[in-house]
Amino acid sequence: MLPDAFAYASAILRIAMASPTPASGPETDPGYLPDYSEDGVDLSLIRWMLSLTPLERLEFAEQQANSILKIWELNGRA
Amino acid sequence: MAEHKLLVTVRALQQAGVEFILVGGLAAVINGAPVNTFDVDVVHARNQDNVARLLPLLEELDAIFRIQPARKLKPNASHLSSPGHQNLITRYGPLDLLGTIGDNLGYEDLLPHSTEVDVGEGLRIRVLNLETLIKIKEELGGEKDLAVLPTLRQTLKESKKHLEK
Repeated sequence: MLPDAFAYASAILRIAMASPTPASGPETDPGYLPDYSEDGVDLSLIRWMLSLTPLERLEFAEQQANSILKIWELNGRA
Repeated sequence: MAEHKLLVTVRALQQAGVEFILVGGLAAVINGAPVNTFDVDVVHARNQDNVARLLPLLEELDAIFRIQPARKLKPNASHLSSPGHQNLITRYGPLDLLGTIGDNLGYEDLLPHSTEVDVGEGLRIRVLNLETLIKIKEELGGEKDLAVLPTLRQTLKESKKHLEK
């Protein structure tokens, strides 16, 4: 079962806060992959999505949509 | 508010034998793009047989036009045979049945630009490829379309690298 959108977002935040400086970079690691494209797209998120099966991608999209709708509903926007 | 059941909607279309191509946000998601989507967008074949398969399914899903839900207007064969967009709300969430997209591209035009994806659990669906999604959004040029383009372009690049591994 996939973690829901909140769990995923908090995991990303925890990782970001625990790693103030990158462990590797293009100078030190020949296999280094940048986390962001030049136009600011989060490539690590794309790579994570690509690591899922099509069914897992659909389930994640559905969970995410429902999480957002729930937040809207709690704040009187639904 | 009822939960959106995007997967259930897609599965219902497939089980009813409806010929369709998944486009829009869900197609982007299946292709690996991390984008948000709240509805199911499909381009359906507009031939008489397919429309005849769609109508009872829409009835079963309690589909009505979502622009004026209070009027509970139901789509009919004439709507589904047209090249226009039928923006519906069903008991499982929003469903957009699109006669054509982009520059008047219908089901048959888009078939060569789609692939059948095995989603698992017996679900096989035809999905528009990323190249065509990007091309159509570039042509449409609306703010919403342009905003998602960098993510779609980078997903296309990364998915090529992913396939090479």
